[in-house]
Amino acid sequence: MMARVGIERRPLRFADAALAAWIAILATVTVYGAATTEGFLTVSNMKAILTAASFVGIIAVGLTVIVLSGNLFSLALGQTAAISAMVFLYSLRWGLVAAILFTLVLGLAIGAVQGFAVGAWGANPIIVTIGAAGLMEGMAVWLSHGQSIVPPVDETSWEHLANPVLGLPAPVYVFIAVTVVLAVVMARTRFGRQIYLLGENRTAARAAALPITLLTVGAFGIASLYTAGSGILIGATSANASLLLVGSYTYDAIAAALVGGNAVTGGRGSIARTAAGAIFIATISDMLLLRGYSTGAQILVRGIIVVVVVVLTNLKERTR
Amino acid sequence: MVLEVEGLSKSFGPVRAVRSLSLDVRAGEVHAVCGHNGAGKSTLVKTLVGLVRPDEGVIRFEGEELSLRNPQDAQSHGIALVNQELSLVPELSVEDNVYLGGVDVPLLYRRRRLSEGAREVLDQLGLRHVQLGTPVETLSIGERQLVEIARLLVRDARLLILDEPTATLSKPEIERVFRATRDLVAQGRSVIFVSHRLDEVFELCDRVTVLRDGQRVATHEIQEIDRRSLIEHMLGEMEGVKTMQEHEHAVPGADDTIVRIEGLTVPGSVDGVSLALERGIITGLAGQVGSGTSTILRALGGLVPSATGTVEVQGKRVLLNTPRRAAAAGVLYVPNDRQREGLFLGQAVERNLTVSRLRRLSRLGVLLRRRIRRTARELATMTGVSLERLGSPAGSLSGGNQQKVLLGRALQLEGTALLALDEPTRGVDVGGRAEIHNLVREAARTGTAVIFSSTELDEVLDLADVVVTIFHGRIVSVVPRADASASAILADMTTTQAASRSAAS
Repeated sequence: MMARVGIERRPLRFADAALAAWIAILATVTVYGAATTEGFLTVSNMKAILTAASFVGIIAVGLTVIVLSGNLFSLALGQTAAISAMVFLYSLRWGLVAAILFTLVLGLAIGAVQGFAVGAWGANPIIVTIGAAGLMEGMAVWLSHGQSIVPPVDETSWEHLANPVLGLPAPVYVFIAVTVVLAVVMARTRFGRQIYLLGENRTAARAAALPITLLTVGAFGIASLYTAGSGILIGATSANASLLLVGSYTYDAIAAALVGGNAVTGGRGSIARTAAGAIFIATISDMLLLRGYSTGAQILVRGIIVVVVVVLTNLKERTR
Repeated sequence: MVLEVEGLSKSFGPVRAVRSLSLDVRAGEVHAVCGHNGAGKSTLVKTLVGLVRPDEGVIRFEGEELSLRNPQDAQSHGIALVNQELSLVPELSVEDNVYLGGVDVPLLYRRRRLSEGAREVLDQLGLRHVQLGTPVETLSIGERQLVEIARLLVRDARLLILDEPTATLSKPEIERVFRATRDLVAQGRSVIFVSHRLDEVFELCDRVTVLRDGQRVATHEIQEIDRRSLIEHMLGEMEGVKTMQEHEHAVPGADDTIVRIEGLTVPGSVDGVSLALERGIITGLAGQVGSGTSTILRALGGLVPSATGTVEVQGKRVLLNTPRRAAAAGVLYVPNDRQREGLFLGQAVERNLTVSRLRRLSRLGVLLRRRIRRTARELATMTGVSLERLGSPAGSLSGGNQQKVLLGRALQLEGTALLALDEPTRGVDVGGRAEIHNLVREAARTGTAVIFSSTELDEVLDLADVVVTIFHGRIVSVVPRADASASAILADMTTTQAASRSAAS
């Protein structure tokens, strides 16, 4: 997963070696775990891992655009996913296509507004997104009267979104497709290039007359659009949406981006890294689950992995 | 010998920054290190203070062989670096800055004893008038430099390395730093002086070592060498003489005004500046640090929202309140601080070269990668940046090459009406400077107007077709190059008489 570092700096040798050692340890543990955990190396378990990785993975790759643009994170992802699921199930009464489009447009708009506040006014992204999260929760409770949203009884078209296609659940295909699309966008388009430059040095981006507001709106818009897309799949899978769905999506997505080794400060990293991070976390969680560890232990292990990777990538970035 | 360096080598990937370099510094001397950009000066300096570990070689200081792990380590041995970028905390007092991060300041320190120590050192450096409690931000840049030195002296630095110490200083401030340096040397300390300014080398130093391509070319007693042969050492045989030659200057007055500035004012900095800039003419703003030259250019680039006054580009009035508006109107600002505001240091040179023209290098938002590559190659060839480095991060280039990349991104852009270059050769050596000047002349020849700021007389005289001197945010004089004399410009740049004269007129 670390095979291609987009741009080589002269690294501190220690940090490099440590990172390589760490990856080796993780790989060994994974392989060992895979070999010794009963039921791990089965087709159905692989499917389970991929499915589990999909929902978070879609959110995480979208979030990566924000990370690369140097705007840290969005802390409103869980809320965006949950209300997208609610909006989707509610608007199914107007038909499947309309519901999908409406939810996606709403998601895009929610993100764009946050991006505008950050890009045009220089507001702190963490604070803006926490505020947005609160607003969304309030709106959701108010409009739904605290009730769960369920799809209309006579409408079943949405079930396709959760059903397996050629043996794999539909969200897995969506995850793969949107990851590839975004990876291409970031690598091959002017927008992608400018996001990297903005994340590398905001002051220089301003002096070089890059469209900072537009880029920031785009970054938050994409993250939110992807989150809404994941929300649709989450809603379709659970057939019942409430704010309980907020869960830990925000933190899981951030963890995936960090474990993938994207620079927290922006400018360096890639979509592929985040996707790999999401799959990796899902693999470890799955393995712990199969071995009978508690949810607490799973969260703990995930936390440790995130911390170590962040420290090591940071050391590596602090090169000269 | 206080310091002996033998057989020092250091490579960064394929780049051999320093090759079996040897150097010795005597006790009580100022030893200059000169060289073209990329000659290995900064690698040498970084090695001496533990920022870079050499691949090979021995560093012996006061007879002891050193293997330095970090700058603290170097400091504890008595070797200290005074950086171009000062590391003081502006909000803290002079005294706090002097002791900040000190290794041997005890947890429960006795304020009085420290104060006396700081006072003594400051007096020694000619900062008798500076109170210990004064916040550093209220000091001039030259004074800050001296506080930085004071900070090293209380740590008993016996070898001080001054890296381009005068780049941002005014003449009287330079004098003060020099005086302090001479005093230090008289006490038996040693100084390594890294500078591009040859005048200063001759004025201050006892010996000079010239580096080229990571190797030592020569070491001379300063009396034994003259300016011309020093430059020849630095440049090698190829272009030594070329850089000394006089250039033809375009003559303004063709009434081909492309940019008209009226009453440009920035509160506290620029005061009613009006200028007409012609196609193909290079206008040089000569002024000292803080005179407002830089702010004028920043305002043109749309980076000073508080600026008032009007700017017309090709007859059309433009609001220059954001860099995007300025760029859209054809005004291209090139910042003076390449590290902070100019380059994207962690991104590839290719990306840096093409950042301002991505619109034309893409179709429907999709990057045309082959064209990007070709354009980057052309610009790199034109500016003399190695093609092999196009994929390396800009931050891995030497200062002079970074400056070329920064300038290169503004060259050959269609629709440019005005190039505003803020100190285009800051921290660049003689050879690099000549190359950059040629690029600027070439750009002017294609019909754009050019305006640049500089604190250095040599540069203004070499490059400008029209010399505009600025003092305290006001225009003192506007003189065609042919009528400009060094002494008159210097007088206009520095004297308060000039200010009163312009106020009276």
